[in-house]
Amino acid sequence: MNLQALFDGLFSGAIYGLVALTLTITYQPTRIMNFAQGETFVLGAAVGFEIIGVRKWPWPVGLAIMLVIAVIMGLIMERMVILPVQLSGSRFAWIIATLAAALIFQSIFSLRYVGDTLSFPPFIDKTFSVGSARISAQQIIAIIVSLSIIAIYDQFLRRTIHGRAMRATAHNSDTAIILGVPTKRLVVGAFVGSAVLGALAGFLWCPENGINPATGLSFTISGFTAAVIGGVGSPRGALFGGLIVGLLNSIAGAIFGGIASGIAVFVALGLILVLKPAGLFGKPIEGH
Amino acid sequence: MKSTNIALRGLGLIAIALVVIFPFWVTSTANPESYLNVMITAGTSAVLTLSLNICMGYGGLLSLAHTGMQMMGGYAIGLAMLNYDINPWIGILIAAAASTIFSILMITISLRATYLYFGMITLAANLIAMESFRTALGNDGMITEIYRPAWGGVDLSTRQFYFLTMGILAIAYLVQRNTILSGFGRATMALRESTDTASALGVSPNAQRVKIFAIAGGLAGVAGAILAMQGSFMSPEIGDMGGGLIFFVGLFLGGVGTLVGPVAGVALIAAIDFEIRFSGAYRTLILGALLLLCMMVLPRGIVGTFRASRLGSPHELKEEPDTSGEEIITISNGVVGEIAIEAIDVVKHFGGIKAVDGVSISIKSGRVHGIIGPNGSGKSTLVSCLTRYHQLTSGEVKFFGARMPKTPHKVARAGVTRVFQIPHLFERVSVRDNVLTGMYLQERYTWIEAVLRMPRYFISTRAEEKQAAALLHLVGLGKKSEIAAANLSHGQKRLLEIVRAVSARPKVLILDEPATGLTQGELDALHNLILFLKNQGLAVVLIEHNVEFLMGLADVVTVLESGKVIAEDRPEAVRNDPRVIEAYLGRTDISELMGE
Repeated sequence: MNLQALFDGLFSGAIYGLVALTLTITYQPTRIMNFAQGETFVLGAAVGFEIIGVRKWPWPVGLAIMLVIAVIMGLIMERMVILPVQLSGSRFAWIIATLAAALIFQSIFSLRYVGDTLSFPPFIDKTFSVGSARISAQQIIAIIVSLSIIAIYDQFLRRTIHGRAMRATAHNSDTAIILGVPTKRLVVGAFVGSAVLGALAGFLWCPENGINPATGLSFTISGFTAAVIGGVGSPRGALFGGLIVGLLNSIAGAIFGGIASGIAVFVALGLILVLKPAGLFGKPIEGH
Repeated sequence: MKSTNIALRGLGLIAIALVVIFPFWVTSTANPESYLNVMITAGTSAVLTLSLNICMGYGGLLSLAHTGMQMMGGYAIGLAMLNYDINPWIGILIAAAASTIFSILMITISLRATYLYFGMITLAANLIAMESFRTALGNDGMITEIYRPAWGGVDLSTRQFYFLTMGILAIAYLVQRNTILSGFGRATMALRESTDTASALGVSPNAQRVKIFAIAGGLAGVAGAILAMQGSFMSPEIGDMGGGLIFFVGLFLGGVGTLVGPVAGVALIAAIDFEIRFSGAYRTLILGALLLLCMMVLPRGIVGTFRASRLGSPHELKEEPDTSGEEIITISNGVVGEIAIEAIDVVKHFGGIKAVDGVSISIKSGRVHGIIGPNGSGKSTLVSCLTRYHQLTSGEVKFFGARMPKTPHKVARAGVTRVFQIPHLFERVSVRDNVLTGMYLQERYTWIEAVLRMPRYFISTRAEEKQAAALLHLVGLGKKSEIAAANLSHGQKRLLEIVRAVSARPKVLILDEPATGLTQGELDALHNLILFLKNQGLAVVLIEHNVEFLMGLADVVTVLESGKVIAEDRPEAVRNDPRVIEAYLGRTDISELMGE
């Protein structure tokens, strides 16, 4: 077994899991799969690049600024997506609205960072060797942070009143309203929360592998794949889905070469959906 | 209404005329070829958007693989040409076939998946296809030197190729229109609204989904072929979902699930895109913002919004269509008293709950068979067992002595239709089209005959329309035949649903609480309709809580309690049966007190 592929797979898997979680967070109360979610990922990278990479300000400052901007982006994105969906009423409106939002953010990023690859130095610049394989402190931090966030969110859903409200809304938003759940605020909260976590994922990813500012959509698709493999709606599913995608990617890549990695992931996706149409941890989704 | 239609026709003719004179008009410009190429690209997009409209707008199938289907078509024609020296004209057909096969494969493996997951499988299939071409062909999957077809020994010029593209667009539009306006299209739309209802009308959900997706695949393949010949290359990037955005945009801008919408939407997008072609990197930004704005201002797209407006939507007819001179409608010619459905010891358990616990029942032609019982006594479950919406735990169901088929749509085909407890009308289509959808099983023409508008299509359609008018007249909905079913009152909807159910000329009709929420006048109409059907020899099963209504109609009444038959007799006998009174009202000594 190639240890390096394992390390890299764990790292990218944890990040994909986090992206899958952000998709789940907005999906639950709204039934919207946000195609623009990957743009929050790029945002995290972009803020890190500007503050830490270009201006050389310290990491904690970069992190703080990133969080503030991500909240704003979440608020904007909620309006950009929810307003057209509500006004439209078509059952496919969410695809168009989120794709349009993705397009808009993508072109803003491309315009601002023409020709740049977004990257900045890691928080702790250190690398550990295990045999011939190497793992950086950045990767370890990213794995720990992602796993903790997913675990905390899982407990949040199960243990707290807000989490139960979230699950109630996911199940049936009309009934949730009757029970006094402030669904509108919940939706805004979900968009803000997922924007913050999405940006954090990009922020953690970027020092290790730079990001092309126009590739938000491909991170969305990786996150989708992870979410769907795990089963949309379950934090545990997001985590396992993410790890499956990340590990398959890097291990298939290490054994068969780069092109095989993409195929392996999507074959796995196809297989899992055919065998378990609701994903590994999910419940069936009704058409609507 | 008529004047709007004429205006629309005129608009269509002007658009066609513009498309025809366009190449001659641009010859005076500096670079006519570039204008023609813009139009060819737009035409190709329109073909693909039509395909997307068929499967998403009408079929309700979320496809994220349309760019992949297009790529498949492009590779098919390219590889056929380069490796086997196949004539490009035949290549177009090969492209359509390859993409059809690709889409059939995709949908057969994903029939179990619903909605979003279905979309994800198509997305995965799309990416797998892209990667496969990239790996298998070398040179990153890029193939070049795909050439255009020849006419009279000379390769088509750009202008000729322009006309070829527009011709194919016209054909694609006609395929879409003729598909949708046929029984095949109505079955597709029924499926989009509700799998259960479509099954009750005899539509096989899986077969219909495969067919509609295959048609969409074929059209997308043709679009891919044109694209490959125009650019003379094909590469995996053509299949990239990001590039497919424009098709979604065009579809939504024009109007999802409208006939002209996709073409109008793509035309508009192409025009806007052409206007802002010098804006460089701001182009995507403008397109995206425009799209969001359109969704808010024109939520149903250009055509959809127009259709929903006062100007564009049909009105109630001033006069009922003349149905006199029609032969009296025969729904059924069953032999009165013959056993139609025989259920023997039917048992249905849900987990530990015995919803139906050993029920035997015989339903006879020309009789109204009432089923009553308290809430939760298993009435609807029993009916769902008879029509195979539930699998039996044990027991047997016979239909005219033979075994009842195993799936809901086959039961409907055999001649048993049901009307559900909750109204399941197709709200967006007209009252008449609702009835025509019910005639799915009577249609004797194939999809090909509908697309080519062959004589059998016209004969069948004309006969169906006459019948529909007569049936609507029967229940007093003649004037409303053009308006959308959503605009009917609750009682009218129930009547329409029954008409739709009997328009397939079943042998057994099952009505689940049809009288709930009806006014006295509507109850009378329903009463007369059921009597009319019964007198024609139809077996009617009537589940009802309105005991007065049921007793006035039923020839025999079965009383269920806790999944068991506690009484079965003529209405007056059942009414006085102490067990029935106890089941409904508690013990007789107490209920007598209450009655005073």
